[in-house]
Amino acid sequence: MLFRMILLIALTTGLQSAVSAGPLSYELNAEQVAPGTWVVQGKLEDFSSLNGGNIVNTGFIVTDDGVVVIDTGPSRRYGEALRKLISTLTDQPVRLVFNTHHHPDHFLGNQAFSDVGIQALPITREQIALHGNAFAENMYRLVGDWMRSTEVVLPSENASEPLIELGDHRIRLLRFTGHSGADLVLFDESTGVLFASDMVFYQRALTTPHTPGIPVWLGELERIRDITFSVLVPGHGPVVSDGRALDQMQAYLRWLDNTLTESARSGLTMTEVIALPVPQQFQEIALTKSEFSRSVAHLYPAYEARFF
Amino acid sequence: MIRHCLFMTLGLILSMPVTASSDDPLNSPLWNYMREQFIGTDSYQFDDRVRVVVPEFAEDPTQVPITVDARELAGQIERIIVWADLNPIQHIFTYYPHQAIVPHISLRIKVQQGTAVRAAVLTDKGRWHLGGSYLDAAGGGCTTPSAAAADPYWESHLGEFQSRFFPRSEGGRYKFRVIHPMDTGLVNAIPEFYIEQVVIRSASGNDLARMELSPPVSENPVITFDVREPDKKHSIWLRDNGGNEFEQAL
Repeated sequence: MLFRMILLIALTTGLQSAVSAGPLSYELNAEQVAPGTWVVQGKLEDFSSLNGGNIVNTGFIVTDDGVVVIDTGPSRRYGEALRKLISTLTDQPVRLVFNTHHHPDHFLGNQAFSDVGIQALPITREQIALHGNAFAENMYRLVGDWMRSTEVVLPSENASEPLIELGDHRIRLLRFTGHSGADLVLFDESTGVLFASDMVFYQRALTTPHTPGIPVWLGELERIRDITFSVLVPGHGPVVSDGRALDQMQAYLRWLDNTLTESARSGLTMTEVIALPVPQQFQEIALTKSEFSRSVAHLYPAYEARFF
Repeated sequence: MIRHCLFMTLGLILSMPVTASSDDPLNSPLWNYMREQFIGTDSYQFDDRVRVVVPEFAEDPTQVPITVDARELAGQIERIIVWADLNPIQHIFTYYPHQAIVPHISLRIKVQQGTAVRAAVLTDKGRWHLGGSYLDAAGGGCTTPSAAAADPYWESHLGEFQSRFFPRSEGGRYKFRVIHPMDTGLVNAIPEFYIEQVVIRSASGNDLARMELSPPVSENPVITFDVREPDKKHSIWLRDNGGNEFEQAL
């Protein structure tokens, strides 16, 4: 018995050190969703030292005139893995990179593309300049060694053209604000693929730290619904070819808006709101409970202020 | 026998660094010191009936919602002291509720790092009842400049007061918000500036409850408390450490 225990301890310790000493690798896979169009789907999780922050969807469009990359991931290591993955699928050079908004999982891979023009909305560029380093520090805290050598590389150009034509792809740039204050959505008219960025989450609870307000977000989702897409790539969660991701977003945002309004009207404290049950229909969405709690922290004070 | 010895040794090794000479269910390294600071050598017990409700994680370390609930405790409550063990300023507030006040209060606080948040409740039996929860946080709440430090809005609105009464199934609830920077004094070149005293008064001018606040109470405090009799006209009086006094009907 004693020997067995010692063996067990030795094995466990050995295993642990093997895991922590092993090379950290994202093992990225690209899924083709339309001609020349690829999506690298992240996990439906929160940032952790196990997933290295790979919780985000990135994508790229291979044209006859170079590759367009949509978001660069949470770390230098991710950005490098993404670029390597692209090079295994095409000989075309990376021509243009977009950061859809200023959240860390969408731009901290920029180092791997610093030789290419990186475009973002003007407000996104300001937000990254202002908060980028704090975000990067927080990512080191959350995911650890995966972040090694990651530094903020600011987007170098404004995404100011309404339409970009590369090869036989016509990519329309659409500006929204609902998720982060400046959200770039890309619609490839030639394939019908809509890269919805974090304006749309699907099967992974949406996050609200910089939303200008739920009503704004809801209104902009109506505009996105008017686009006749064949494939919708959410910022987080599986790719869809119909309106179900938009349905889920709108249902959840309406419930959130209504819950916060009614809670403030009846005088609930933040503690009481956080403890409220989340309806059954949203419980299949990953991280619903914890993201609801975060959203209460972000949004409830403004709702409370309306009922003084 | 060998097996038992091994378990005992393992158990000892595992338990020694954290629980040595401490009965604290939250295993806080500062428990004994904090206890001496706040309740001295008085007799006390850990008591599940004193609930300190905190979120799983301090999403915004400058505005963390907490609720202290001692409604299940029998006997009249004399005093409730609330503190965070690992904050640079540990004391958050002390509450002296009258009989007409339900011992259930919510507000937002600043935290500097993950810490035990505790409430010590003294009843008229002369014994302290202790509740607490561990609050996880990335930190920095006490050394972040207040929003007021970057925006002169507060200068012309200091002490502005909003409040509302909400009927409850039993009794009623007041929620109020007051404009105040609540500066901790821990940010370079921004002196300590915070509301020290809050007194809730009945229509006849008697004190119903008194609070002593410390700088870890969040900027522009929002405080929610419950009363047993909703139909009374109450007013509130505040004073900050700069000597400014504010009085308002609730």
